[in-house]
Amino acid sequence: MPVTKVLTAGIGEADLRNIDVYRERGGYRQWERAVRELKPGDVLDLAEKSGLRGRGGAGFPTGKKWSFLPAEKPLRYLVCNCDEAEPGTFKDHMLIAEAPHLVLEGILLGSYGIECHHAFIYIRGEFKRGYEIFSAALDEARKAGFVGDDLFGSGFNLEVTVQRGAGAYICGEETGLLNSLEGKRGEPRLKPPFPAIEGLYGMPTVVNNVETLAYLVPILEKGAEWFASVGTERSKGYKIVSVSGHVQRPGNYEVALGTTVREIIDIAGGLRPGRNLMAVQPGGGSSACIFEEQLDLPYDYENMAKAGSMLGSGAFVVFDDSTDFVKAAHNLVRFFAHESCGQCTPCREGGHWLERVLERLVHGRGVSGDYEMLLRVSGGITGLNLCALGDSIEPFLKSVLLRFPEQFRARVLKAKETVPV
Amino acid sequence: MNVNLTIDGVPVSVPKGTWLVEAAKTVQQEIPVYCYHTKLGPAGLCRVCLVDIEGMPKLQIACNTPAAEGMVVRTRGARVEAGRAMILELLLVNHPLDCPICDKGGECDLQDYAMAYARGNSDVVDPKTRKPKAVDLGPTIVLDEERCVVCQRCVRFDDIIADERQLVVKDRGAHDIIATATGSPYRHNFTGNVTELCPVGALTSKTYRFKSRPWDLNRTQTTCTQCAVGCQQFADVRYGTLLRTMSVENDDAISDGWLCDRGRYNIGFYASPDRLTQPLYRKGGSFVQIGWDDAFALWGKAITDAIAAKGTPSVGAIGGGRLTNEEAYVLQYLFRKIGVANLDWRSGRQRQATPGANGGALTDIELAQAIVIAGESIEERAPVLWLRVRKAALRGGATVVHAATPAEAVAALPAGATRVALVWDGIDLARGRAFADAFAGVAELSTYVASEQGNARGAEAMGMLPWSGPGYAAARARGRDAAGMFEDARNGSLAVLSMFGVNPVRNAADGAAVAQALVKVPFVVVSELFLTETADRATLVLPAKGAFEKTGTTLNLAGDLLPVNAAVQAPDGVLSDLEMLLGLAAQLDVDLPRAEELDATVIEHMAHAPEDFGFGDSRFASDVASVPEDVPPATILSGGGTWRHDPTLATLQVETPSSQPVGATA
Amino acid sequence: MTRERDFPELLERVTPECLRIIARYEEKRSALLMLAHVFQEHEGFVSPEAVLAISEMVGITPAETEGTISFYTLLYRRPVGKYMLQPCRGLACAINGAEDAMAYFREKLGTSNLETTLDGLVSYEEVECLAACDRAPCMQVNLEFVYDLSPAKIDELLAGIRAGTYPVKAMAQTDPPGRTWEIRQDDQVSTGRKAPGATGVESPNNAGGVGDKSGTIMLDKIINRDVEFFRETRERAVLDSRAVVESVEEGREEAEHARH
Repeated sequence: MPVTKVLTAGIGEADLRNIDVYRERGGYRQWERAVRELKPGDVLDLAEKSGLRGRGGAGFPTGKKWSFLPAEKPLRYLVCNCDEAEPGTFKDHMLIAEAPHLVLEGILLGSYGIECHHAFIYIRGEFKRGYEIFSAALDEARKAGFVGDDLFGSGFNLEVTVQRGAGAYICGEETGLLNSLEGKRGEPRLKPPFPAIEGLYGMPTVVNNVETLAYLVPILEKGAEWFASVGTERSKGYKIVSVSGHVQRPGNYEVALGTTVREIIDIAGGLRPGRNLMAVQPGGGSSACIFEEQLDLPYDYENMAKAGSMLGSGAFVVFDDSTDFVKAAHNLVRFFAHESCGQCTPCREGGHWLERVLERLVHGRGVSGDYEMLLRVSGGITGLNLCALGDSIEPFLKSVLLRFPEQFRARVLKAKETVPV
Repeated sequence: MNVNLTIDGVPVSVPKGTWLVEAAKTVQQEIPVYCYHTKLGPAGLCRVCLVDIEGMPKLQIACNTPAAEGMVVRTRGARVEAGRAMILELLLVNHPLDCPICDKGGECDLQDYAMAYARGNSDVVDPKTRKPKAVDLGPTIVLDEERCVVCQRCVRFDDIIADERQLVVKDRGAHDIIATATGSPYRHNFTGNVTELCPVGALTSKTYRFKSRPWDLNRTQTTCTQCAVGCQQFADVRYGTLLRTMSVENDDAISDGWLCDRGRYNIGFYASPDRLTQPLYRKGGSFVQIGWDDAFALWGKAITDAIAAKGTPSVGAIGGGRLTNEEAYVLQYLFRKIGVANLDWRSGRQRQATPGANGGALTDIELAQAIVIAGESIEERAPVLWLRVRKAALRGGATVVHAATPAEAVAALPAGATRVALVWDGIDLARGRAFADAFAGVAELSTYVASEQGNARGAEAMGMLPWSGPGYAAARARGRDAAGMFEDARNGSLAVLSMFGVNPVRNAADGAAVAQALVKVPFVVVSELFLTETADRATLVLPAKGAFEKTGTTLNLAGDLLPVNAAVQAPDGVLSDLEMLLGLAAQLDVDLPRAEELDATVIEHMAHAPEDFGFGDSRFASDVASVPEDVPPATILSGGGTWRHDPTLATLQVETPSSQPVGATA
Repeated sequence: MTRERDFPELLERVTPECLRIIARYEEKRSALLMLAHVFQEHEGFVSPEAVLAISEMVGITPAETEGTISFYTLLYRRPVGKYMLQPCRGLACAINGAEDAMAYFREKLGTSNLETTLDGLVSYEEVECLAACDRAPCMQVNLEFVYDLSPAKIDELLAGIRAGTYPVKAMAQTDPPGRTWEIRQDDQVSTGRKAPGATGVESPNNAGGVGDKSGTIMLDKIINRDVEFFRETRERAVLDSRAVVESVEEGREEAEHARH
C-alpha cells in the first residue's frame, strides 16, 4: 500500500504557513461551512461516524471522548496537545511547523464540535520555532476573521490561546498538561475525576492530539464515510507514522491503518545494505518491541495490541543487528526515570532503580540476579502507578529482556568477581 | 444514602462516596497509607493502600476508590500482598535505613508497614541516592530529605489547612525534595503539625530531636492552657521531663486535630533552672528564702491585720485566667468567706470573656457564611480557632471580615447571610456592644470571645468578678475590680493584694502605673512560676505549679469543660495554687468546700453562661472610666496568653539569624 | 558583554507584555510558564528577583513559583552560557551515532553533561528525544535545530560560536554562569546547613548504615522464622565484610601513600 498524503499533502511543496496559500488550497472553507451551515452536533456526528481515534497514543475514539462532556455544564474547554515528546515521534512537530493553519482549523472545528469558546494549544517548550510559527498563523487567522467574536456573523465566539511548555515529557499526559496549563507542576492528576468532568480550571475539558484534530478538516471536507472506508475494522482512516532508526529513508509517512509493518519498513527505504532486522518498536518509547515473525501484521490498534505492543503515537523505530539492546533498554529506562514527575512511588523509585542497574550492566558490571531483578521489578511496578508513565517502563525492557537474554547475561560479572560496587 | 459492600467477606454499609480506606476502618481492617490522611483527603501518591476489587483487572488504591453498591473488596490475599511488598521494597530502595538514630523509630509508619508487609530483604546492590540531611527548615523543624517518601502530606497541610503554601516539592523524579522558597525559613503558627503528619522521620521537631524513644515516653492526655481554645493534647514525659506535646487526632470538636506552635513548643520552661522552687520574702531591699509554714503565717497575718485595721476593702485578690476552675472557685470562696469583695481576674486589658446568649460551639464556625473579627487579630490570640476560620473560608466558602466598625462589617457581609460567627477580643466593651447590636438581627449568630488567658471564661464562671459569684450569680457585695484595686493601691488604701498567675506590670494597659502603685501596698503576694516583673515587686513570692503539673478542669472560649491532667511532677517545694489556698485557709480558719462539693457536675452547672448578657455587657464595665485609647497591641505570644510563661525564659532558641524565638518579645 | 543588571528597570519594561500574557488566561497562575520564559529571555535565566516578580504578578507564593519552575528543565534557576547546546540522547539518535557526537562535544568543549565552559560562552546538556528522529543525530542550539550531526558539523558549529559568526542569536547573559546551572542535591549534602543536633556528625547515614549496602532490613520475625532469608543474609554479610576489609585496607594504603 502506498503513502497517501492527507494531512501531509502540500508539505514540502507549498508554503502552507502562509494563510493565502493555505486558503487557495481550500483552507478554512470547512471552518466557515461548519459555522455557517452545521450544528455543533453535526461535527460530533462526523467525528463519531468517521471512527477517528486519538492519534496521540491511547487511541481512544474521539467522538466518544467528546460525548462524555456533561450537557448541563456549558462552560468547557478544548485543549490541543502538542507536547510531543514520546521518543521516536516527530509528526506533531512537523504539522505545527509546516501546516499551522491546518492544525488551527482542526482546533476550531473541534471547539465547535464540543461548543467551547476558549481553546488552548500546549506546544512543547523545545518547539520554540513551532510556537512562533503557530502564533503567527493564529494572528493571521484572527485578522482574517476566523478566530474571535461573532464568527461569520453567527454569534459564535471562539478564542485560542497558545502556551509554550518548558521541558517536561509528563506534560503530554493529559492531566499533567492541564496542571501545567494552570501554571503548576506538570504532575498528572488523580483520576477520577476525569478531565471530561473536571479538567482545566475544574471545568469539563477535552484534550486532543494535534493530528487527531487536524484530521477533522479532511473528514468534514470528504465525509465520515470516506475516512471510515479506509483502514481495518476498528482502526479507521489514516495515520502519520514517524519512521526512524535503522532505515534508509527515515521520516513521516502517512499511510492507511492496516498497512503491514513490513510495508512501512519498505516505504522508509528498507534496512541499510547488509543489515538484518532485529526488532521494531511500533508505538513509541512506551511500546514493546515486535520481531521478525510479526512483520506481516497489519499496523493498526488491534493487531499491535494483540502482538503485545501498541500503535501508540505512531513512532516506528527500526533496530537492525548493530543494536546493543542493553544500551537501548538503558536509554529508554533512563528517559522514563528522567521524565518521571516523582509523585508516585513505583515510577519514582522503580524507574530510578532500574536505570541504575541497567547503567551498571551497560558498563559490564552486572551481578548475578540483575537479570531476574529487572524482570521482577519492571513487572512489579506495572499497574501500580498513578498515570501511564510508570507503566510505560516495562514493555520495551521486558520484550528485549526476553528476546535477547544473552546480551544482558553477557554483562554480568563472573561469580568470583562479584563484589558489589 | 448508604451503599452495601463486603470487605474481606464482612458486609459493610457506608454512605455513598465513602473512600474504601475509611469504609475498611468500620470493620477494623487496617489499610496501610502514607499519603492519605483523613483530614487531607486522597492524593494517590504512595500507592501502598492497594486492595483487590472483584471485577477490576488491576489492584486499586483504597484511598481514592469510593465504596459502591455490591462491591467485593479484599484487603488481603496474595495479589494485594505482592503489590504492597513491591511498594515497600521501592520505598526502601533509597531510604537510608538509619532507624537506630531516627527520632521516628518506634512510631514510624515505614517501619511498621515494612514489618507487616515487606519482603524483608532487598536486591539493591547500588549505592543509595544521597540527599540533604538535617536541613534547617526554619525555627522549629529539621528536614531529612533522604528519609522522605514524598507523600506530600506536609505540602498539602500547608496548602489546604494552614493556607500558607510555604512548603512545596522542588525538582522532579527521584531527585524531588520538600523545600521552602530559597532563603525563606519555614515559619508560621502551625509548622509543628507537619512533624506529626510526616509518616516517616523526615520532618522532626528541633525541640524533640534526639531526645527520646517513643517507648520511653509516658503519655498523658490533657488540655492545652496557653490560649482559650483548649486544644486536647498528649503530654509526653520521659524520666520526669516534659519532652513534647502531640495533638489528639479525633479531637474534632475543639482542635480539629491540630496544634499551634505555641501550644506545641512553648513547654520547655517547665524544666527551666530559673523556676522558683521556694517561697521568697522581701527583707530590706532583697528576697530571702523562707519555708512554706512561714510563708503561710506571714500571709495570713497580713490579711488578718489589714482587715482588723482598715476593714475588708483594704484586701484584694487578682487572678483566675490561668488557674483551673477549681482553683478559681476556691480563691473567690476563701476571700468572700472572710468578707473580701475585691476580686477580679482581669489584670490586663481584657474586660469580658463570656459571650453570653449567643455563644456557639467551635464547630459552628465551619457552618457560618461569614465570620466577623471584631478587634485584634485572632491569629495570635487563638491560633487554632483561626485555623478553623480558615477552614470555613477555604472549604466552606465563608467570607472572613476584619472590620474597624460594625457598619463596615455589615457592609462586607455576603448578601442574605443568615449564619454569622462574631469573634471579639473582649477588650473594648463599647466596641463589642456595637458589633453585637449590629448583628442582632442575624438568624443564626454565634459569638466568641478570644481571650488571652486560657481559663478566662472559667474564672468568670467561677466567680472571680467583683460583681458576681459562681455561676454568674450576683455577689452579695460588689467589690473593686483590678483597675480599681490598683487605684486604691495608688491612694494607699490597699493593704494586702494577692495575685495568682498574673503579671499586670507587663500586661495591664498602664503597667508602669501599676508598678508604682504596688510599691505603696504594704503586703503584695504573687504566686508564680518565675520571678516576673510583678513578682519582683512583691513582698511574698510563692512558687507555683504549671498546668502540666496539676489536675483540674478548664473552660474554653466556647464553654466546653475540659480536663487538665498532671503529666509531669513539679519541682520539689512547689505547690499548686489550690494547695497554697488550703494553707492560707488554715491560717484564716476557713473551711474550704470538700472535693465532692466541687466535682465536675457542679463546675459544669456553674459554667453555663447566662442568656441575659452579650458582648459589652454593662456589668463587666470598669470602675475606672475607660481603657486608654492608645494602648499598643499586645505581644500575645510573649506572655499575655501563655501559662505563666516569662518571655525572657523562652526555651525554644532559634538558630536562624533573621528570626526570633517563638515566645520572644519585641 | 555587560554584566549590568537592573531588575527594576527590566521589570518595568516587560510588565506590559506580562499583563498581556496574563490576560490570555482565565486564571492568572496559568501564565506562570510564559512569564518565566519572558524573564529568561531577558536575563538568560529565571533569577530570584524574577521569581518574586512572577509570584506577585500571578498571586502565588515564591515557594510555589520556585517549586513549579524547578519541575521544568528548560527553565534555568542559575545563569547559563550564551549558547545552550543540547544534543539529543533519545533512542533513535542513540542508535544512529549520538553517543559519538556527544563524546566529541564533551572533548571539544571540555565539559561534562550539564556544565558550562569556563569562559561562560557555552552550556552543554544532553537532552531527551527532541522529536527530529528522522534527522538523527540531532541537537538544538538555543532551541534552534541542527540535524545530522557529524564531527565536521560540530567543528563548524563550535568555530562559528567562538568566532561570533554562528547564525543563531546568543541568549541574554546578565550574570556570569557557574560551572553548572543545576542545583545538585549532592552539593547540598556536603555543604548544606546542618541543623543543631547533627553538628559535627559528618554523615548521619553512617551511624545506621554500616555494612548495610544491600538495604537489608533486619527484622526479628523474619530472621527467626525464615531460614532461607537468614542464609541469604549470612552469605551477604560474609561478602560485605570482605568488601569492607578491602576498602579499609585500600584507604590505609592511600593514607600511607599520601604521607610519603
